[in-house]
Amino acid sequence: MMDTTILSWVTFIYFAAFVFYLFRIILGREFWGKLATGTALAGLAAQSVALIIRWKTSYDLGIGHAPLSNFYESLIFFAWAIVLLYLLMEWRLKNRSIGAFVLPVAFLLMAYASIAPGINNRIEPLIPALQSNWLTSHVLTCFMGYASFTVAFALGIMFFLKKDTNAESTNPGVFARLLPSEFLVDELIYSSVALGFIFLSLGIITGSVWAHYAWGSYWSWDPKETWSLITWLVYAVMLHTRLVRGWRGKRMAILAVVGFGCVLFTYLGVNLLPSLHSYMT
Amino acid sequence: MTTKKSALWSFFSSVQLAVVLLSLIAFFAVIGTLVPQREAAVELAGRLSPGMFSFLDKMQIFDLYHSIWFFLLMILLAVNLIVCSLDRFPMAWRRFRLRPVTSDENVYKNLPEENNFQTTLESFRVKAVVADLLKKRFRRFESDDERGSSFFYAEKGRFSLFGVYIVHLSILVLIAGALIGFFSGLEGYVNIIEGRTVNALNLRNGNETLNLPFDVRCDKFSIEFYENGAPKSYQSDLTFLRNNQVISSGKLRVNHPLELEGFRFYQASYGASPEIKATLTVLKNGKKTMDKTIGLGEIFNLPGGEAVQVIRVEENLMRMGPAVKLVVRGAQEEAAFWVFQQIDKIREMNPGMVEQVPMFNPGSFRPYLFVLTGVEEKYYTGLQITRDPGTPVVFAAAVLLICGLMLVLFSYFRQIWIRIDEEKDRSKITIAGRSYKNREGLEREVRYLLAELKNNLEHSK
Repeated sequence: MMDTTILSWVTFIYFAAFVFYLFRIILGREFWGKLATGTALAGLAAQSVALIIRWKTSYDLGIGHAPLSNFYESLIFFAWAIVLLYLLMEWRLKNRSIGAFVLPVAFLLMAYASIAPGINNRIEPLIPALQSNWLTSHVLTCFMGYASFTVAFALGIMFFLKKDTNAESTNPGVFARLLPSEFLVDELIYSSVALGFIFLSLGIITGSVWAHYAWGSYWSWDPKETWSLITWLVYAVMLHTRLVRGWRGKRMAILAVVGFGCVLFTYLGVNLLPSLHSYMT
Repeated sequence: MTTKKSALWSFFSSVQLAVVLLSLIAFFAVIGTLVPQREAAVELAGRLSPGMFSFLDKMQIFDLYHSIWFFLLMILLAVNLIVCSLDRFPMAWRRFRLRPVTSDENVYKNLPEENNFQTTLESFRVKAVVADLLKKRFRRFESDDERGSSFFYAEKGRFSLFGVYIVHLSILVLIAGALIGFFSGLEGYVNIIEGRTVNALNLRNGNETLNLPFDVRCDKFSIEFYENGAPKSYQSDLTFLRNNQVISSGKLRVNHPLELEGFRFYQASYGASPEIKATLTVLKNGKKTMDKTIGLGEIFNLPGGEAVQVIRVEENLMRMGPAVKLVVRGAQEEAAFWVFQQIDKIREMNPGMVEQVPMFNPGSFRPYLFVLTGVEEKYYTGLQITRDPGTPVVFAAAVLLICGLMLVLFSYFRQIWIRIDEEKDRSKITIAGRSYKNREGLEREVRYLLAELKNNLEHSK
């Protein structure tokens, strides 16, 4: 069970990275930023190693499959994808301020995976319905989509904070100065949503191809399917209002938050409804 | 623009309508996940008043995704997509066909001051640097020399003008595929006990059955379990027949459907059939005379003409393992007794019992002795059968959708003009650009080109 040990350490590493990103914003010293990036990178590396160990262990047990097969593994992969996307974004933009908003989400997911009762972290064999090559591509694309939407959500929250601090005083503090401009945040929300939209579309399509092989129909109006469609429609509306109507800023930030609510319901809330996707053990 | 568009045309071509329709579809979808649908709606019948239930049922609330409301929304969305695409496509087509003039002077009008700079380098050097950069960034470019100036033109992403129309087309194709499935597809299920043949299936909606154009026989159902008790794999060996002639056969597994004449067969479920079989060995005077596998209620004859009937088959009788109850009828006598599979163990634990209680003695009917070698529970295999000629159409739509989205979201039609004007001992370089969407991206591009050019010119000195 080395992988789960490493993963519980990763939880704390992400928390530390979050604290360092926060120090950077509050104290305004780039030293903390560099430390935060280094910590997040170390966490991502350790998590990747843990995932590979888990993958390899499943083959040693003779039930080899990618570590994407149950709720625990999906939470871990979700957090991994978020940190990966965030670090890529930080590297491309040379801007560290978004970290304080993204890392806590990754930390919470990891913490939930390790602490929440009733979550099975053992490596289990796959039931026949999950024994398909489509499992990996379906889960991979869906969670990359979820991760992109999570980054958009964090940016949306940041947009509101920035707006508030700007409105309060004519002389914004270090806090507001270190956050990127509203214009850039808006651009980033759009880019993350665009990326997430492609991944979600691919996730829905790979899912329906798989359903075509496993369940006998490419679409069965299963609650999870339906909620992924609802999420897709919300982001479709968001892209239309931006690309055609020119909506920007606050409205985009609101839609990014609403869209993330749908993502969460698709991922977690649907389990309250009877579903073919009930692999939550 | 020829005439003023009618109000109806403007209404159907508006993005507001698209936003409203997408939101409405989302809203209906939410309702459908909250209100039990189809078979599940039955549980609501007890909690609602009959009048209310039948009203909601008439309004098709319990089959929302196949209701007239959803159908109407789809039709409206299709009309909206068609009208708005017809409305805007001619413009995109004109922009696509418009061939840029490399030495176009108009594009340089009203440019901000920072879009030009000067260099003392010889003009042939400058031209080489500009050509190199454009080649690197845009792969190909055009150039022209006129009136003592040099003109360059490069572009990328011209096809992205069509991206949005490809996405819209894909949604129309998707709706078409779904409608084909709705009107000419079918979805049914059937349970087949091992060894049996069926040729009708139960349809999912309604209580109707449908006759298949062939027979389906389940020759064998097999299942394997993991150590933790979860099923590892299960499969049905199916044979398809017509007029008792085998036309096809195959092994059906989860995730690996079989297809025959447009019908697709899926391994959906399995279960224990009420049918259970016992395997018996009969000894006469201590010598084995016959083996028999027999189902509940069935009769077979012993070599002496006596009839044996199996009247009970138990997998675990009184916690003493598998057992069958037999009735043997001879010419004069008749005996009814249990035959346990684990007879030796029972003898050991209850010495003398078998001999003293004829009811538990497998040798009660002399001179025969019955030995139970196994009780075999039979399985039925649950098959899902579908026919949906719309499926390839829907998957074609999916491919179109992804191609279109890539063009819309990650590709931009971007045009760049550069001119070099020679003035005495120096050259003036001006950059102009055009983009129909993503102006910010264009500005970044121009800034990047300016910075790169200055840098490269500096290095080539």
